[in-house]
Amino acid sequence: MTAALPLLILMTSLVPAVLGFFVAQESHVLRNTLNLGGALLKLGLIVAMLVAVAGGASYESEVPLAPGLVLLLRVDALALLFVSLSATLWLLTTLYAIRYFGAKAELSRFFGFFSLCVAATTGIALSGSLISFFIFFELLTLSTWPLVAHKQDGASLRAARVYLAYALPGSVALLWAIIWLESSTGPVLFTEPPDLSVLDPNALRAIFVLFILGLGVKAAVIPLHGWLPTAMAAPAPVSALLHAVAVVKAGAFGMVRIIYDVFGSEQMVALGLSVPLAALASATILWGSIRALQQDEIKKRLAFSTVSQVSYILLGAALASPLAMIGGLVHLVHQGLMKITLFFCAGIYDEQAGIKRIEELDGMGARMPWTSACFSLGAMGMIGLPPLAGFVSKFYLALGGIEAGAPWVLGVLAGSTLLNAAYFLPLLHRLWFRPARADAGGSEAAPALILPAVVTAAGSLGVGLLAASDLSPLGWANLIVMRDYVP
Amino acid sequence: MSGVLAGSVWPFVIVVIPLLIGLVPLVPAWRGVALWLLAVAPLPAFGFALMGAPGASDLPDLLLGVVLGMAPGGAILIFGMVAAVWAVAGLHVALTFPPDQKSAILAGFWCLTLSGNLAVFLAQDIVTFYVAFAAVSLAAWFIVVHQRTDRALHAGRIYIVLAVLGEAALLVGLVMGASAADSLRIEDVRAALPGAPSSMLVVGLLVAGFGLKAGLVPLHVWLPLAHPAAPVPGSAVLSGAIVKAGVIGMILFLPAGSDWASIVIWTGAFGAFAAALWGLTQADPKAILAYSTVSQMGVILALVAMGVQGAGYYAMHHGFAKGALFLLVGVMAAAPGKGARRAALVAAALAALSVAGLPLSGGALAKAAAKAEMDREAALVLTATGVSTTLLLVWFLKTVARGAVAHKPGPFRMLFASAAALVAAAWLVPWAFWGGQTGLALYYPLGAAPLYEAGWPLLVGSALAMILLRGWLPSFPAGDLLNLLPRPPRLPALPVPARLPALERLRTRLGEVIDVARDLEAVMRHWPRAGLMMVGVGAALLASLSFG
Repeated sequence: MTAALPLLILMTSLVPAVLGFFVAQESHVLRNTLNLGGALLKLGLIVAMLVAVAGGASYESEVPLAPGLVLLLRVDALALLFVSLSATLWLLTTLYAIRYFGAKAELSRFFGFFSLCVAATTGIALSGSLISFFIFFELLTLSTWPLVAHKQDGASLRAARVYLAYALPGSVALLWAIIWLESSTGPVLFTEPPDLSVLDPNALRAIFVLFILGLGVKAAVIPLHGWLPTAMAAPAPVSALLHAVAVVKAGAFGMVRIIYDVFGSEQMVALGLSVPLAALASATILWGSIRALQQDEIKKRLAFSTVSQVSYILLGAALASPLAMIGGLVHLVHQGLMKITLFFCAGIYDEQAGIKRIEELDGMGARMPWTSACFSLGAMGMIGLPPLAGFVSKFYLALGGIEAGAPWVLGVLAGSTLLNAAYFLPLLHRLWFRPARADAGGSEAAPALILPAVVTAAGSLGVGLLAASDLSPLGWANLIVMRDYVP
Repeated sequence: MSGVLAGSVWPFVIVVIPLLIGLVPLVPAWRGVALWLLAVAPLPAFGFALMGAPGASDLPDLLLGVVLGMAPGGAILIFGMVAAVWAVAGLHVALTFPPDQKSAILAGFWCLTLSGNLAVFLAQDIVTFYVAFAAVSLAAWFIVVHQRTDRALHAGRIYIVLAVLGEAALLVGLVMGASAADSLRIEDVRAALPGAPSSMLVVGLLVAGFGLKAGLVPLHVWLPLAHPAAPVPGSAVLSGAIVKAGVIGMILFLPAGSDWASIVIWTGAFGAFAAALWGLTQADPKAILAYSTVSQMGVILALVAMGVQGAGYYAMHHGFAKGALFLLVGVMAAAPGKGARRAALVAAALAALSVAGLPLSGGALAKAAAKAEMDREAALVLTATGVSTTLLLVWFLKTVARGAVAHKPGPFRMLFASAAALVAAAWLVPWAFWGGQTGLALYYPLGAAPLYEAGWPLLVGSALAMILLRGWLPSFPAGDLLNLLPRPPRLPALPVPARLPALERLRTRLGEVIDVARDLEAVMRHWPRAGLMMVGVGAALLASLSFG
């Protein structure tokens, strides 16, 4: 039984995905039961595993795909961090999407690929070897394409094309890196760091750079971030999932795996890769914020905000000091909670009041108090106002920056905080303090649409407020780093 | 996992009660009650202070591990005063504000600000301290802009920009301090600051953050705009209580004898005089009081930087008196008849005299206690601030006396009685702590030397006011003291112009930078170029390695 557990978790998303394609468009009840049931079952399994892994257990499933090619699924603490985030947000996004789409067309196709996308994310989290990781990474690329193109209008199709144009060369770089590495070291398992001494340092550096390029497309590191704002043409639930857990997080998580479990952070520092990578992350953080400042569309502003915030994770991994690692890992969860809240709310504004642009938000606080309160919490968390989630991440990253002997990180974080304030506070001011426009419509959305936003907003407050608890994401990140990665 | 809460429950409870009360106005039907609860919210904290602030709460799961217990030194004196001023100001809100939606918003953030204001004195670790400081700093914005007038919104804009900058400076400073101390405890950080790497920068950031809040010249520019723009009870808590969050920050983190301490001493002393003189150019009574606050905060911060133990004692007196003065401006405006108005004016005069340091008043005691710890020259400077303070407060009384009688029925008695209670506290409470603070006998302030020292600045200040009045009256209309100063009367009353040319230039420059960034982004977004750049970045990363 325990050997099958990782596989079972994957199946809770994969089975609804496969079956979902065959459900008739009208069978709403069947489709919803399938998706929600899968999500709930998965969440239950994960809670059980969290308890077990906290006690020191780990689980492995092996699925032979072809001679010499084994799909290795493994549950360790780091995998659980990502998979529990994706399972929680999948459940909430499914609830949201069911209400959001109502009875629109092509729902079976949508939910099928939606579940497939989550299955791929789960696979990425659980992959125990480089090759398994690559397989799921590609599955993610392909299952996301139909979601971005879902509306099938000009903008969506263009966005989907741009997405592929960025993602496929990234995959080539990734595959190249894996083949180069494994041709020398043999198959790489994340549990046993490969013997890198067989390769000369320059080859290692080149491989590392290829990894960063391949994963950097998904993590939206500059200058590989161009697809992300364009992909805003997708429906709101897709944007929410893309930005919070699926695509960008897969890229960031991949980088964390490569740095920690393939190269090892000491090796990365020894190769002189730590500072350039941290500089790249810092540049992305600042650049994303500056670009966000210039956007007039809500979703575009949020998209550039994602570009900026996801690189916090990378920054934490690149700095390679324990506190920075904790800060980066915990931001994986924190950014997910905050950003999905913002996208849920952006979708509600669009759906209820047709609001797409920032100036249309004037006075919506009074009309849609719940949505606006959630949006405000998410935005304040992004700025890093205590005691919200973003504050905790930044605090650890800042301490970690000093610990790593890179105090300039403080300047980056302070600059990013100020820029975040500059592009989020005016939105809050419009929501709550401007009089509503004469032509403004809209009223509060149905509970099923608001509830997911309320849960994630409360979550981003709760994980900050109770950060020191062992059960918080911070407590878990602490456990990962202190137990698995600090010698 | 240890227990959820260890130690005493009270320090935690008194901070949480205002937060819970802040939720009450969310229910429209409860708004009327919510406003009355504002007067109740600080009372548990006040009782806690009266009992001597015993015990500490340890909440290991909250934030990054919260420890709440009274800060050392004179903190408890300021804390008790803060609670009292909030309670009286809350009562004034309940008496004068309609129970509408606008008041409900104010009430909610009023409670958040109050909670933060209390917690800065109780925080034992820097994260809790920072959270509390952010609450008191940012939530107070809602108090500043409450009236939604152009003036209030303009003041609010300047306030929020500077507050966010201050928060950022503070966060960076605290993180660097914590890293140097390898601990989150305030006492450890405090001990590590003098020897921290780039100590000058760390302490400078902290001084900037706290100085902004406390109105340290030249970081005070927001204060004379924001304090008068708020509604009367809001001005009272801003000037009486909220600025003291900056004071406790300085008390906790400014290392005595450091270069920054010297800078704070000099700028504080300079501000003490300069702000008082600048206040003479103001026509709005609340703006005059705001300048008086800047002046008095200069004194208090200089005392803190000199390591004078009596700084908390001095700040306590100032909070009572300044809270009372602001409230009395509102009380006078609500006076139903001439007699009532005169009574309020007398109370304001008594509070003003105490701030100026009239012998035997609380203010005189506060100054005497501070002087007992200082050398002769410094003590003389402190004494001399009495002259400029007297001048400014005479001008305040002149200005505020000019208003008309409201002739409307209102809760005047309650308003007057509660504000008068603060005046009484300013006069009497320092007597209660005199012995404990100075170790001197209770009859010491009655001696000839202290009487003389407290008295002469008042006489000189009054004489100066008379002379200046007499000298200028012939050429300018009576009552317009603006003309007293050798400044053309055409100059605007407010010191900060609506638009700062430097700021405008900066905005244009920023616009240019943003334009460049937009163009650059367009270049990057073009896929073939992005692909090329991807290769380029790879090459650059590789190239950078050959140096690494």
